[in-house]
Amino acid sequence: MIKRKQLSKLSCLFLMLIFLSGCWDQLAIDERAYAVAIGLDKGEEENQIKITFLITNPELSRSEGGQGSNEPPREIITFQTNDLISAKDMANTVIAKQVTYTQLGYLLVSEELAKDKNFVRLMYDVAKEPEIKRGVRLIVTKEEASQFLEKTQPKLETRVHKFFELILEYGIRTGYIPDTDINKYFRITEAKGSIFLGIYATTEKDTSDNRKGEDNFIAGEFNAEGQTNNSEFAGSAVFKEGRMLGTLTSEETRLTILLNDTLNSGHMLTTFPDPFDREHQVVTRLVKKRNNEVKINLNGDNPTIDITIPLYVEVLSNHSMINYAVDSKKRKILKNDIEERITTKFDNLIKKTQKEFKGEPFGWSLDVRKQFPTIPAYEKYNWGEKYPDLQVNVSVNINFGQFGKQSEVPALEGSGD
Amino acid sequence: MSEQLSLDPISLKKETISGNLQSTMEIFNSFYSIPINSDVKVRNLLIGGLNKKASIIYISTITDSQVIENQVIKNLLLNSDDSKEVQDILSTKTIKNVEIIGDILKEINKGNVAILVDGHSIAYIIDASKFQGRSIEKAENEVSLKGPKEAFNEQAVANISLIRKKIKNESLIVEITPVSVRANNELYILYMKDLVNDELLQSVKERVNSLDVASIQNLSLLEQFIEDREKSIFPTILNTEKPDRAVAYLEDGFIILLMDNSPTSLVLPATFWSFFHLSEDNYLRILFANFIRSLRILALFITLFASATYISITNYHVEMIPTDLLLAISATREIVPFPSVIEILLMEIAFELIREAGLRVPSPIGPTIGIVGALILGQAAVQANIVSPLVVIIVALGGLSSFAIGDINMNFTIRLLRFLFIISGALFGFYGMAAVFTVILFYMLSIKTFGVPYLSPMTPKYVSSKDTVFRKLLQNQIFRPGYLKPKDMDKKAGE
Repeated sequence: MIKRKQLSKLSCLFLMLIFLSGCWDQLAIDERAYAVAIGLDKGEEENQIKITFLITNPELSRSEGGQGSNEPPREIITFQTNDLISAKDMANTVIAKQVTYTQLGYLLVSEELAKDKNFVRLMYDVAKEPEIKRGVRLIVTKEEASQFLEKTQPKLETRVHKFFELILEYGIRTGYIPDTDINKYFRITEAKGSIFLGIYATTEKDTSDNRKGEDNFIAGEFNAEGQTNNSEFAGSAVFKEGRMLGTLTSEETRLTILLNDTLNSGHMLTTFPDPFDREHQVVTRLVKKRNNEVKINLNGDNPTIDITIPLYVEVLSNHSMINYAVDSKKRKILKNDIEERITTKFDNLIKKTQKEFKGEPFGWSLDVRKQFPTIPAYEKYNWGEKYPDLQVNVSVNINFGQFGKQSEVPALEGSGD
Repeated sequence: MSEQLSLDPISLKKETISGNLQSTMEIFNSFYSIPINSDVKVRNLLIGGLNKKASIIYISTITDSQVIENQVIKNLLLNSDDSKEVQDILSTKTIKNVEIIGDILKEINKGNVAILVDGHSIAYIIDASKFQGRSIEKAENEVSLKGPKEAFNEQAVANISLIRKKIKNESLIVEITPVSVRANNELYILYMKDLVNDELLQSVKERVNSLDVASIQNLSLLEQFIEDREKSIFPTILNTEKPDRAVAYLEDGFIILLMDNSPTSLVLPATFWSFFHLSEDNYLRILFANFIRSLRILALFITLFASATYISITNYHVEMIPTDLLLAISATREIVPFPSVIEILLMEIAFELIREAGLRVPSPIGPTIGIVGALILGQAAVQANIVSPLVVIIVALGGLSSFAIGDINMNFTIRLLRFLFIISGALFGFYGMAAVFTVILFYMLSIKTFGVPYLSPMTPKYVSSKDTVFRKLLQNQIFRPGYLKPKDMDKKAGE
């Protein structure tokens, strides 16, 4: 009997332990407000920021009984704060539910704030807050981030997070924007000497006609007409040591992606002038199937990097109507022509990074590290300082794939043949 | 005579019968309360040739009247040879001589016929029992598509016949042992003499013989008497109603228990895997068999964790789910008045109620339960915003999955453990679920049944055919389970 009494006492204690310690961090799923995007702008005072929450409305998902909801799909609030973390509580002054960052996918920063010297300090809030995932995308907006969020009103994707998710996914696949997230931001910032690329976006149209080529533009220059959402995502924002320095155009972003093995390169559709008929273009799809060959020689007075880029090129169409599929000589000329053009572009880009940014966004620091026995030795070498004077030799190696779904075309008058 | 009658019935049973037919008959008349006891019959006759008085006692409801008329009475009456003994007159297939009164009573109670002859101080017992019962029918609980369909019925003799049909070997032993004092219930212990581990057999026999109960009507009751841990949530003795399955276990060195009045057999010692497997698993081709095995283990985990995972995710780990799904859950939860634990428990209990009520309901009303259950509890509860539609899906999925565990004992285990996980998930999220799961694993590892670890041969590891979650090719199943320590490990034909 004594044993049984003790047992019941013990089990009572155990139960109390469970009930006293359980549930403490419980918060029901429907009692939270999910911020899917956060916008950060410079505040009115020094060291203050203006934060914008884009909160999605789950109500939209309810459809049983056929009655949709009349509530708007999102809610946007903007206010002044010191940091990201305490802003959660402050938001509750106007938002009924508890704001959480668990579904946060996009961090939008205005160009003005990103170029501020204190921007890095702010970014480390993101690293400290446990609710924020490291896969959050960093987007730099030309205008204020709050403006951008308000003006982004997708016509078809009523749920804003879906819009962001899809437009970035396909933007990354085409190579117009880089595949980067804040984890990369922290890694590259802490590694020093390298450059991080953020996604560049805007809703402001730039009508000054700065566009340099068919697919060489930056967000704002695309100037689509019709009834559509105004926000554009193209090009990248260049960050060195955590602070924004400038921008790269969409073409430069594509070239960077081809040079950088750590970025996912998708399928890039682009055009080149036809070597036999300069008025017409060859439409191609560029695919990088293998990694680049990087040879580094840091010894001696003239350190060099030799890089060979294997490219798989499919000619999808050519208005010159030349049948490259059957003519190996012409194919060779086309190959040399394209290789030369791409190589020149690579050279220009590398010069730009060496002069303008004094850092490389190509992930070569990872290859350079292998040249040193220890990390301290690598740090002592100071790669960031050496890069601007480095001799970089780029060569492109093209393999042709198909020449369009149907290779035979009728001989037209005035076609090259 | 009067001296004998004055003894109390218990000590009287230990006496032997005297040669005096009249006094002996008086004893039996008093034991059977003839003529109040309507189906106990006595036939007095004069044996032809020998010219001796004889009495035949039997219980008419459990004996075969054909045998009594044609093989006993007819032969006794028509005999004309005076040199013959009683054994030589009767043409029955067996004849047994018994002297002690108690034993004679037992034989008569079993449906046999006792012949008492004047001047003989022994009773001749003739096997003539014929009990009424079902014929052999299809298995109802362990449905199989490809294997044999016949099932055990309530007659142990028929059941043993079904087993002998599958093992035609002299080393199959059928031992009889009484298990209850008053009702004289008999237990049949079946084993393969050249396979079974003697210690195991001994411990089973000891446990069975140590019982001191007035009556154990059938195996379902006996099972609870001989279990290792009566209060444990995990069953340790397997029930099967399929003779083919029982035989498969016999041939692996297990021990089978049979009893009259039980349409099942008990397999011991059973491990966790015995409850997880079906006989179908070996009849199907290996790919298909392992497919249904994987379905079954999936169903087991869905039953255990589906509801608990839902609660944990919605209350503690929202960051785990994709935004779209999260918003969908959040939207449907918004208008539900209860916290998600209450919501889940409400539906789980409703489901258990439908299941239990559906089982007990008389079959003409059966279909109504289905309609009422599905319609009211599913549709209406959602429309009235009492539960969210996702919860209906999750509970229904968990409930359906639980049926994939066919064994009724294990089914209860899983269903009850599910509630434990729901509560732990509600209190501590995944952390709590993981902790409870670990505790359950520890507990399972601690269970032993007749000295055999519950999770063997997986943990601890034994030489075996590795028939656990998945099975091997039949050609590769060459070992008997090592945890039973059988006399012959090798399953190949070479003996």
